[in-house]
Amino acid sequence: MKRLKIALTKGRTEQQVVPLLEASGINCDGIRNKQRRLIFDEDPRYEIILVKGPDVLTYLNNGSVQIGIVGSDILDEQQNSQYAMLDLSVGKCRFVLASTSDFDPQAHRRKIIATKYPNITKRYFQGIGEDVEIIKIEGSVELAPLIGLADAIVDIVETGNTLRENHLQVYARLQPVNTKLVVNRLALRQYQPQIKQLITNLQRADQQSGQSNLIKE
Amino acid sequence: MKNKNLPSGTRDELGVQAEVKESIENKLFKNFRNRGFRKLTTPVLEYSDVFQPLNADNYRPYQLLDDQGEPLVLRPDLTLPVARVMATTGVDLPVKWYYGGDVFRVKKQLSGSYNQLTQAGIEIVGYRGLKADWECLDVALSGCREMAIKNVTVELSHAKFVAVVVDQLGLPEATGDSLKQALFNKDLSKFDSLIAPLKQSDFGDFLQEWPWLFGDFDQVMEVVDRLPEIPALQPIISDLQSTAQFINEMYPDDTVTVDLSIPSPQQYYTGMAFRGFTEQSADYLFSGGRYDDLLTNFQKVKTSAVGVAFDVDSLVERTALPADTPQSLIFFNDDQWEAAVETLAKTPNSTLCLTNDREAAKRLAASNGSQLIDLTKQVK
Repeated sequence: MKRLKIALTKGRTEQQVVPLLEASGINCDGIRNKQRRLIFDEDPRYEIILVKGPDVLTYLNNGSVQIGIVGSDILDEQQNSQYAMLDLSVGKCRFVLASTSDFDPQAHRRKIIATKYPNITKRYFQGIGEDVEIIKIEGSVELAPLIGLADAIVDIVETGNTLRENHLQVYARLQPVNTKLVVNRLALRQYQPQIKQLITNLQRADQQSGQSNLIKE
Repeated sequence: MKNKNLPSGTRDELGVQAEVKESIENKLFKNFRNRGFRKLTTPVLEYSDVFQPLNADNYRPYQLLDDQGEPLVLRPDLTLPVARVMATTGVDLPVKWYYGGDVFRVKKQLSGSYNQLTQAGIEIVGYRGLKADWECLDVALSGCREMAIKNVTVELSHAKFVAVVVDQLGLPEATGDSLKQALFNKDLSKFDSLIAPLKQSDFGDFLQEWPWLFGDFDQVMEVVDRLPEIPALQPIISDLQSTAQFINEMYPDDTVTVDLSIPSPQQYYTGMAFRGFTEQSADYLFSGGRYDDLLTNFQKVKTSAVGVAFDVDSLVERTALPADTPQSLIFFNDDQWEAAVETLAKTPNSTLCLTNDREAAKRLAASNGSQLIDLTKQVK
């Protein structure tokens, strides 16, 4: 039987998901002591590769991997067309609109919003019928309103600590973010029994970890 | 120099590749004609209204305006122009058409997909029964066989299955629609939460397996059997079963699968739909189905129709390209034209060498690695 190839987002997602994969019976010893490796085949059923979030979808759309594990922020931003089959209970956070205390959301002028997620920001402001100018920046988004690059930011918060330390406050809560298991459409047909097995095991492990894998609305 | 580059999503086809495509099209057309189909050629430009019934997401057309300011599109599909012809001309029914040509769809930049696709297909209009569906399948599978494409998998589905089952669940309309969306997107987390209240009902066993309801025909039917009796489902299941049996008998080397968890490929499908593919590649070889209500959009009289189209580009991809062997060059004097053409006709894979002198002809032959047939030596 051919191995299933899984692209896992490296960094925080990787750290949160590995215990879940282990609980579902996948050998992740290699990832735990990875040194400089990027491909892990300790488990005979799977080949796991570590890549950056947006690249998970590139590998997946191309069919180079059958399964991707990636945040819904990236799926939403890139308008994913593959099957997002499972919400994992890890990596839950939320998009927010945040700024300094003197920011006035009601002000009648075209606001400047800095973000790493221009599409999500555009859709949010279109949804509330407001026209804004969006500036895309690559990191440390909290700086933008402090330095005067933008009036406010749209970014992901998990605990809110970074915002507080930079004296920013939340003005609106946007969509929630969580980690998802995404499956290539054709691969689901070609590897049906293996993928079903993997998903069933993961669902069980996710429930046993004491949390429901459903988003509470 | 930017305007000398190709627009994203387009391509040139040179030499062998273009020739293989042409020969595949010719084989398909010959098959269609041998079965008594007549050719129907429609223009590349149409009014955008013709394509109203298409799902706009997957079939975004290229738009332009005519001199009156009316919106025109480059056709994104070849079935709807046939429907237009049927609605606007008094063609006697039943009728069998075949067509071939390029369709144009706007694709995402840098996604690696092409915007211009070649199709060849048939439409059978005015036959209500399963025999018409089967002729489409027979045309499709015999075509694959002739192209030496082995181990084709035919995936059957039905436009009405999902709607009929969801109707039986007694859910509010909005919940039913969410359930369909979750099913179609294979969003298991959402699907599970929506069916949670129905776990204990007669449908519980079936619902749990529904997102996985694709693949081996018999295994899928076993799950369908867990459903309580639904009269509206009987004709759907029996059509699928007899069609699977038809394919198994006629094409024992091919595989039949079924998918009862997908949306219909187009909103206008009303009956069975089918797609053919092979394990190696993501592209479908052919796809088709029945749409008995489509023509009412135009002339208010329902006319049964079923059709299937080959994706010619994906047939080309699966065809081994013949090696590009160098052509023999025939060099001749100006007054030897007749003899040269005679030699050309006798010599396979040859071409006239149009250089003015023998030295140039020799250099050309040497650089191409081809044989030089020198007619000038035969002159006294």
